[in-house]
Amino acid sequence: MPTVTIDGCKVEVEKGATILDAAKKAGIWIPTLCYHQAVSSDASCRICMVELDRGDWKQLVTSCNYPVRRDIVVYVSSERAKLARNGVMELLLARSPESEELKALAERMGVKETRYPKVTESQRNCILCGLCVSVCEQIIGQSAIGFAGRGVERVVAAPFRQPSEDCIGCGACAAVCPVGTIKVRIHHDQQEVEISPFKSRAKLLVCKQCGAPVVSEKVGELALDKLKISSEEFRELMRLCPKCRKSKTVEQIRTVVFEEK
Amino acid sequence: MTSFCDKRLNSPDELERVREDLSEHRNSDTKSVCVCIGPGCAAKGANRIYELFCEAVEQSGAQVKVKAKGVGCHGLCECGPIVIIQPGDIFYQRVEEPDVAEIFRETVLSDRIVERLLYEDPSTGKKVKSPNEIPFYKAQKRIALAYNGVIDPASIEDYIAAGGYTALPRALTSMTSEEIIAEVDVAGLRGRGGGGFPTARKWRSCRAAEGFPKYVICNGDEGDPGAFMDRAIMEGNPHSVLEGMIIGAYAIGSSQGYIYVRNEYPLSVERLKEAIKQARQWGFLGEDILGSSFSFDIRINRGGGAFVCGESTALMASLEGRPGEPRAKYIHTVESGLWGRPTNLNNVETWANVPAIINNGGEWFAKMGTEKSKGTKVFSLVGKITNTGLVEVPMGITLRQIVEEIGGGIPDGKSFKAVQTGGPSGGCIPAQHLDTRVDFDELTKLGSMMGSGGMIVMDEDTCMVNVAKYFTAFLQKESCGKCTPCREGLSQMLDILDRITDGEGKVGDIESLEVLAELLEGAALCALGKTAANPVLSTIRYFRDEYDAHILERHCPAKECRGLFRYEIDPETCKACGICLKNCPADAISGEKKVPHVINQEKCTLCGTCWEKCPFTAVLKV
Repeated sequence: MPTVTIDGCKVEVEKGATILDAAKKAGIWIPTLCYHQAVSSDASCRICMVELDRGDWKQLVTSCNYPVRRDIVVYVSSERAKLARNGVMELLLARSPESEELKALAERMGVKETRYPKVTESQRNCILCGLCVSVCEQIIGQSAIGFAGRGVERVVAAPFRQPSEDCIGCGACAAVCPVGTIKVRIHHDQQEVEISPFKSRAKLLVCKQCGAPVVSEKVGELALDKLKISSEEFRELMRLCPKCRKSKTVEQIRTVVFEEK
Repeated sequence: MTSFCDKRLNSPDELERVREDLSEHRNSDTKSVCVCIGPGCAAKGANRIYELFCEAVEQSGAQVKVKAKGVGCHGLCECGPIVIIQPGDIFYQRVEEPDVAEIFRETVLSDRIVERLLYEDPSTGKKVKSPNEIPFYKAQKRIALAYNGVIDPASIEDYIAAGGYTALPRALTSMTSEEIIAEVDVAGLRGRGGGGFPTARKWRSCRAAEGFPKYVICNGDEGDPGAFMDRAIMEGNPHSVLEGMIIGAYAIGSSQGYIYVRNEYPLSVERLKEAIKQARQWGFLGEDILGSSFSFDIRINRGGGAFVCGESTALMASLEGRPGEPRAKYIHTVESGLWGRPTNLNNVETWANVPAIINNGGEWFAKMGTEKSKGTKVFSLVGKITNTGLVEVPMGITLRQIVEEIGGGIPDGKSFKAVQTGGPSGGCIPAQHLDTRVDFDELTKLGSMMGSGGMIVMDEDTCMVNVAKYFTAFLQKESCGKCTPCREGLSQMLDILDRITDGEGKVGDIESLEVLAELLEGAALCALGKTAANPVLSTIRYFRDEYDAHILERHCPAKECRGLFRYEIDPETCKACGICLKNCPADAISGEKKVPHVINQEKCTLCGTCWEKCPFTAVLKV
């Protein structure tokens, strides 16, 4: 196994693991935004830059996707690496000044403010990290959203910037969004879930017993399909809210355990 | 046209027999009228001139054996349309439609020279007959462009008769893959697309990489402003690119190649398509090439209009049908490129050099150039230069020779200020470095780069801050937007440059630009972003005083940035004709007959009408 020396600390990692994996193992924190272990790394945000020692010269690399193939020496806290990470953070703060999540990360990195004015338009503080796009494609398998436009015009959107029919309203994009751009809104009166800012809406599955919203209908179907359990009784159970499901299960157990005896 | 080959050639011997037949048929009593239909000449109506020559040939009957052909870019675009009569190498320039009949009657039929259409050497005032007497061509050395202007790009027979497809049979029958790569290694060929990576090393890595199939790609996504080198090769001699690719594929062990051509080059696509079709018919592409059991074919893909697709990983993403965005190259494309397979990508010019290297040997190639940059390089010479055009020069020639000898210096008696090399990722090289030799590493040391070969010359009237702004704006527009430093950083740089050229610069702006530049260089994802700050950095390095003048004095020394200079009327030169007064849309000029006019600076909107209209150049920019 190759050894990674991070800021003088030696750790062994599997061949092909990333510098970020090694840093985690060494207990060294590197800020990340567009990285999520569930999806492949795109290294687009550039906030996780570290300095790689190549002997006669040093190179800045993104730790989230640099594969360790042999023994390497890496600096996380070198002046150049810090400057690069902080520089990227300042640019992101200029783009998305209102994101509380971004501000919190900046604070943890020691970046107090940005020297730059706001020159690019972001959609609700979106930093275009692409995690939402990746999770929708790679994990959910829907590809309801993607990138549209180029350069400063780049945005995350559904095709033709219209609400997408492929969106199942699962909210995975909102869950992975590191800056709070994507939100799940429940419209109780219409029994619908909306994924904002994409404006896509999906019918909610409502608990048969108490009428509380469970998940979107499409998510329920997808989950049942993935579970591959054909028992109708189980499927019925899954259409209840967690609370009612619990009480129903308790009921069933009581019947089985106590009354049948 | 007589077809010399109605079936696939199955061996190098068959090819040689056809070549002999071809040269016998093309004996010297056939005259040819070569009309340049490259982009420069075509824009000046060369296609019509070519048609007129074709008609003249048809009407002339059998008096004399003559053939008109449209040929690829000849280089001296400034003097187009260019027509060359062979034999005799008679070079006519600035040919217009009415000249066709005269040329045909005098030169083609009666062997007399039409003096007035010859090129006049500006230093001696003498008319010269053939290209090699013209200073523009004298210092050039043509390898990649050797057959440009000589052969008909649509005719494989022309290419073969001129000695094309001799390297391929040699490589296939008498060389092993390793020997071919060794020959390219000895030649010291480096990538002509900009990076200057040693070609042989790339080929060797790709050959050694595990995985099948392997791909070879020709990058014809030439997008630098003012660059047309690759276009001239693809349109002027497409078979040289194909031959290079077939040899490379054989050396690497690839069976499929792709040529990625930018969408704005429809003629390149047409020429390459035709060439591929011919090469398949003749048996240079497809199964069992020339009976060697080696099989290889090529497909053409058109780009979608994104500059970033010239970057290798973005190009491959685009080829795969995904958005053209780069990815990290921590694992090289020679290991995992197109569809995750080992892929070798070279630029058009690199491929076009390969047949000559195999034919003449690596040592021959390595004799030209400097220690680490061998052979020749094609440049497109544009901007404030007398001889706009396409040049191929041996590496190691000085920039001064290119600008002054070949380019003929700066027109209108102006003085040279800088030359921008390397496209938007390159930098501006000032007059004090004009004696630098053209060499990958030397140009990099100056803060510029070789790039793919765009060379933009600037004179004293060019504002260097504005130049930096132009390239930054170009790159900001062409950035794919994937990574933060490029998308956000370039926008911030452009914002600062906009302010400086608007006269709203602040002390500290230069330092901010430098900080952003360093961030881009270190943290951007791809080469486009990493080198995007070069125009800004190189202009700060060599023309810091111009930045300071904009910021501290609110003055543009080149008088290009509107608002940072004013118009004044020179009372000595002013003839009080009243033209400026009449034309001023802001009523800012006052004056009477015989009294020199004056501009009221408070009313003046700096539109420049007076400056344009004054017949006595009495209106000055100060």
